[in-house]
Amino acid sequence: MAYKPQYGPGTSIVAENRRKQMNPGQKLEKVRSVTDEDIVLILGHRAPGSAYPTAHPPLAEQQEVNCPMRKLVKPTEGAKAGDRVRYIQFADSMFNAPSQPYQRTYTEMYRFRGIDPGTLSGRQIVECRERDLEKYAKDLIETEMFDPALVGIRGATVHGHSLRLAEDGMMFDMLQRNVLGEDGIVKYVKNQIGEPLDRAVAVGKPMDEKWLKAHTTIFHSLVGTAYRDDAEYVEYVQRIHSLRTKYGFMPKEE
Amino acid sequence: MTNAAFPQARIVPLRMLKPGTAERLLNMLAGIAGIRRMMIHGPGLPKTVPYGPARGSPNPHSDRTAIRVADAEIALRVQVGTVILEVEDASVIEEIRSLCDDFFVEFPYLLQVGKFMKTTPTLVDYARYGPDADGSLIGLTDPRKGESPVILRTEQ
Repeated sequence: MAYKPQYGPGTSIVAENRRKQMNPGQKLEKVRSVTDEDIVLILGHRAPGSAYPTAHPPLAEQQEVNCPMRKLVKPTEGAKAGDRVRYIQFADSMFNAPSQPYQRTYTEMYRFRGIDPGTLSGRQIVECRERDLEKYAKDLIETEMFDPALVGIRGATVHGHSLRLAEDGMMFDMLQRNVLGEDGIVKYVKNQIGEPLDRAVAVGKPMDEKWLKAHTTIFHSLVGTAYRDDAEYVEYVQRIHSLRTKYGFMPKEE
Repeated sequence: MTNAAFPQARIVPLRMLKPGTAERLLNMLAGIAGIRRMMIHGPGLPKTVPYGPARGSPNPHSDRTAIRVADAEIALRVQVGTVILEVEDASVIEEIRSLCDDFFVEFPYLLQVGKFMKTTPTLVDYARYGPDADGSLIGLTDPRKGESPVILRTEQ
């Protein structure tokens, strides 16, 4: 029988969303649309319309060594062209943001190629070749993994994921990269490292509370689904914890 | 430096306050007789970008603005998260509670009673203010910033 990954335990909506994001067979719902130029502006790695700077000549122009692995693994578009490695970093609020650092890394590892994610408690960075990055960033921003108010695209100075939200529901950002306009649309006025943009980049309206609760991947006993309400998840984590603890004593399952 | 005889309280709204709301809240508190000292606390809003490739470039932020409380102008350097108060006696805390119950209608708040201000000068306070510092001012501002507290004169 072919192996079928289960992605994760749990019976709650949070567990279901985690599995949904990780499973590359499931198409993520597209919630908003952002143009390629807007993505380039937010990332701030190159001017829109300019050529991709390269780190090495395109693979086609190079004498490749005779290596079986290179024959087996096809290079991504960015690697083929010799692009630089660049990054995007997200900070996700604990108040029902639709994705979370570890979740992002799992998801990206299942869905994308040629990436190097870095996971921290409040932020998650993913590095890859520039033109691949722009494609992946578009996916990450346009789909249900993003919320304009509760997810921040922050290359530096990320503080805010665990803080109370502002009165208007926005996650705290020391650099105020994104602002909620009078029209209810969130606009990026600075790129991810905090340099002012020539024009504001709209990323859509913040999602409402009900949507967030139904699409979040974090347990939160006050504003969302409580962890202890998902008995299967608790049982799974307790089992892992128990086996890890007993590992040194050569555990045998009864 | 605080005197253990005076009770302290802390107002913790469940949302961080915008300058306009903070101004209204502080003006309401300034009208209460019996508040000795008050401190605004929250995450900082630096004037320049502190980290990353854009370090040192200006950081425009709409919430880093000046608010007017009673007769004084206060330049906000933080997003207002909590307000810490030292009062004359416990009855003032009840007065604050009844006013805050009417003030926070769009989102809830907590009024905590405890010790929230410094009780003794630290080494940094000593280095900055010396041995004969005015005890009532210690703990109200960051000694590293070189800013002094604002004194509010109300009509009461």
